[in-house]
Amino acid sequence: MNKIMVSLKDVSFNYHTLDGETEALKNISFDVYEGEFIGIIGPSGCGKSTLLSIISGLLKPSYGSVEVNGKIGYMLQKDHLFEWRNIWQNALLGLEIQKSLTEESKKYVEGLLVKYGLGEFKNHYPNQLSGGMRQRAALIRTLALKPDILLLDEAFSALDYQTRLAISDEVYKILKYEQKTAVIVTHDISEAISMCDRIVVLSNRPAHVKKIYDIVLTCEDRSPIGCRKAPEFREYFNSIWKELDVHV
Amino acid sequence: MYEAATPYISKEHREFLKKVKRKNVLIRVTQFALLIVFFATWEIVARYKIVDPFLVSQPSRMLKTMIALSQNGSLFMHIWVTLSETIIGFTLGTVIGMIIAILLWWSDFLSKVAEPYLVVLNSLPKIALGPIFIVWMGNGEAPIITMALAISLIVTIISLQTGFKEVDEEKIKLLKTFGATKMQILTKCILPASVPTIISAIKINIGLSWVGVITGEFLVSKAGLGYLIVYGGQIFKLDLVMTSVLILSILSALMYIFIVYLEKKLIRWR
Repeated sequence: MNKIMVSLKDVSFNYHTLDGETEALKNISFDVYEGEFIGIIGPSGCGKSTLLSIISGLLKPSYGSVEVNGKIGYMLQKDHLFEWRNIWQNALLGLEIQKSLTEESKKYVEGLLVKYGLGEFKNHYPNQLSGGMRQRAALIRTLALKPDILLLDEAFSALDYQTRLAISDEVYKILKYEQKTAVIVTHDISEAISMCDRIVVLSNRPAHVKKIYDIVLTCEDRSPIGCRKAPEFREYFNSIWKELDVHV
Repeated sequence: MYEAATPYISKEHREFLKKVKRKNVLIRVTQFALLIVFFATWEIVARYKIVDPFLVSQPSRMLKTMIALSQNGSLFMHIWVTLSETIIGFTLGTVIGMIIAILLWWSDFLSKVAEPYLVVLNSLPKIALGPIFIVWMGNGEAPIITMALAISLIVTIISLQTGFKEVDEEKIKLLKTFGATKMQILTKCILPASVPTIISAIKINIGLSWVGVITGEFLVSKAGLGYLIVYGGQIFKLDLVMTSVLILSILSALMYIFIVYLEKKLIRWR
């Protein structure tokens, strides 16, 4: 059995507003193993992002416990590159905040930029880059801190469909190559099946775990785009779609 | 998208560039022509007594006044007095306004407490405070600078505070995921993201500082362009009034140009 990187036990979370208390998450338990990509999928507004905030420590759960073994990196919905910093300065932002800017860490970031095709664009400003390149720069900004676990919060949803396919494929390969563990929140069922080893389906608010799928696909090319051809893909899709129980 | 060397420019593109350039030249020429026509008309209608030059003055007489004033050195003294008061008032307004806006951003409690006071102070016509400043500070430069400060400060605070609040929450969340402190959020995100807001506040501030200083000089002063305008008005020397107004408009234009230059330097990333 692989090492457990994140362990959630009976996690509940309530929001407090003047109108009262809202239950967002209820008794959520699951483990994330090392090297695993786990997808979290659920109806919109069910508290998926809240769950990530709890794993990352930005929010404390109302009840239950969270155990994290390793350093966490967070990827948000948009790239949020700072317009007034060039790509190099943006990539160093996290290191700067954590006061760990050293010659060594700079070299590491430089290497990442070159490795993932942004070496020549170091001195460009974000508005000079395409959406895909910006997303890559944002990923490097996160990787610069050498996280063990990556939390992706709808990280591709601001991109157009084609870029999104290409970038999710690329991010998948980069993260696998760097041997990271990933927790991927998405509302895109295909994206979840194509990227994840397991998928946690959450219910409507208050969200609880409805079902956990083990995704086993038979395909030669285990990349998000390649495995969309797998025969099991449709079955998983239909099954998860039913589980989500969407009514408009 | 990327700047690349273009060794070859097509004929069509050259035509296009020429067209754009020609249009820009035409705009500049028209701007200057308007100015010249304005002053020429003024000169002519005054010279042929179509309007009374005693009431509207005359460009040639303004020029004479300017020369006379500069020969006895008082012109530069008056300009300097007004200019220094404006720069001090403007700098104080911007710096103090910025500090207060940062404090209000820092503490939500403080900002909620201050809100009604800011609203009242913002709508109060600051000139009403003039006599109070004079009683408290005498008839030197202090009440004039205070007037400029009073007029510009509240607007600065309100516009900067609004700008700070408009910075994308997600950017702040991003910094928080890195474990940023509040001070880091301020210096790495809020302030640099607000540079355009700060510049536009500065632009407004310059105008308001001029208003404050001239108003102050109207109320109490021994020197300055505002003093010349009031003095000239009282002794019915419209040449002096018009000359001072002209100098004033040139000065404020120069100061504005300086800020636009600063803006270009600071916001390269646009």
